[in-house]
Amino acid sequence: MSKSIPLLDKIGEEGRVWNDLREEYGVENPDPPWRVTLESTCEALNEGACVLPSLARRDEEDDLVDELYSHIPHPERQLLALAHSMIIRGIMTEEDLAQHLKVVEKRLNAA
Amino acid sequence: MSNSDDHDHDHDHNAAPMVEEISDFEVLEVAVRELCIEKGIFTQDDHNQWTEYMHTLGPLPAGRLVAKAWLDDDYKQLCIDDPVKASLAVGVDWVNSMPSKFGTPSDYCNPRILVDEPKVKHVVVCTLCSCYPRPILGQSPEWYRTPNYRRRMVRWPRQVLSEFGLQLPEDVEIRVADSNQKTRYVVMPTRPEGTDGWSEDQLAEIVTRDCLIGVAMPRADRKVDDKRHVHKAIHPYGH
Repeated sequence: MSKSIPLLDKIGEEGRVWNDLREEYGVENPDPPWRVTLESTCEALNEGACVLPSLARRDEEDDLVDELYSHIPHPERQLLALAHSMIIRGIMTEEDLAQHLKVVEKRLNAA
Repeated sequence: MSNSDDHDHDHDHNAAPMVEEISDFEVLEVAVRELCIEKGIFTQDDHNQWTEYMHTLGPLPAGRLVAKAWLDDDYKQLCIDDPVKASLAVGVDWVNSMPSKFGTPSDYCNPRILVDEPKVKHVVVCTLCSCYPRPILGQSPEWYRTPNYRRRMVRWPRQVLSEFGLQLPEDVEIRVADSNQKTRYVVMPTRPEGTDGWSEDQLAEIVTRDCLIGVAMPRADRKVDDKRHVHKAIHPYGH
């Protein structure tokens, strides 16, 4: 059984998923704008870096979704599973991520 | 000088609506990516190359491959015998192309072209995850990743195809090809009626993504970039 990661649980609970956002704002695009960049990150981790091979990541994604993120839609669940895999493999720590989330949030929400 | 009441430009051309807030997931995506770059796992340039590659890929290379094969039996045989070599003719180099640049076990360098026949229909799935021939077919559609498609296509292909609107006669055999990390399949459908004398360009236009996955059949009246036809309501609201 995979161990939950509080930081990611919180995002999963509080984050607004694309389906809700696009309905509220009347947007037709079925995918969030960050989906392609998420895919690029997965590919870059697999390819030159060989840090997180695609098949291993997808295996873990299936397990993590089953055990922890089944209530979250795709691609949000793919993103949570990627972050989860990276943390349990030590590619980044939960603290690293928590700290950088604050930096990014402040930057993206700057007026 | 005009004010908001008397200017006369066309207000029908409003910008498309946008999501006007930053979600926690959007922040997470940026944070994960930037941490990778900060830690030297990949560079922003590596990432940009992947993103541009994914944005600009469309089904056209595989569509053109099929169109060429419809017109040239020798090329069709090459597609069957050596898909890597055949792909070069439509500008796709599975082994050396951007962005992978080199062959590794994780590259998708074993493409296979599945040639439909009048009584044999192929369809592609990845039951394990979502392997897809992206170098030649672009990004996979959302439904291709769903457990619904992945699990049911291998068990009840006729039923699932009918849900896509593809009703196949009982005497047509359906062969489902299960992709994996190295072996990626593309379907070469049969050439539809009504396309005699067509050029390669014309034929390439009717080979849509769904035809290349195998969940649709090409039609002379349906092009890749057609606007989607909307049927008028039989009982429209307010009438």
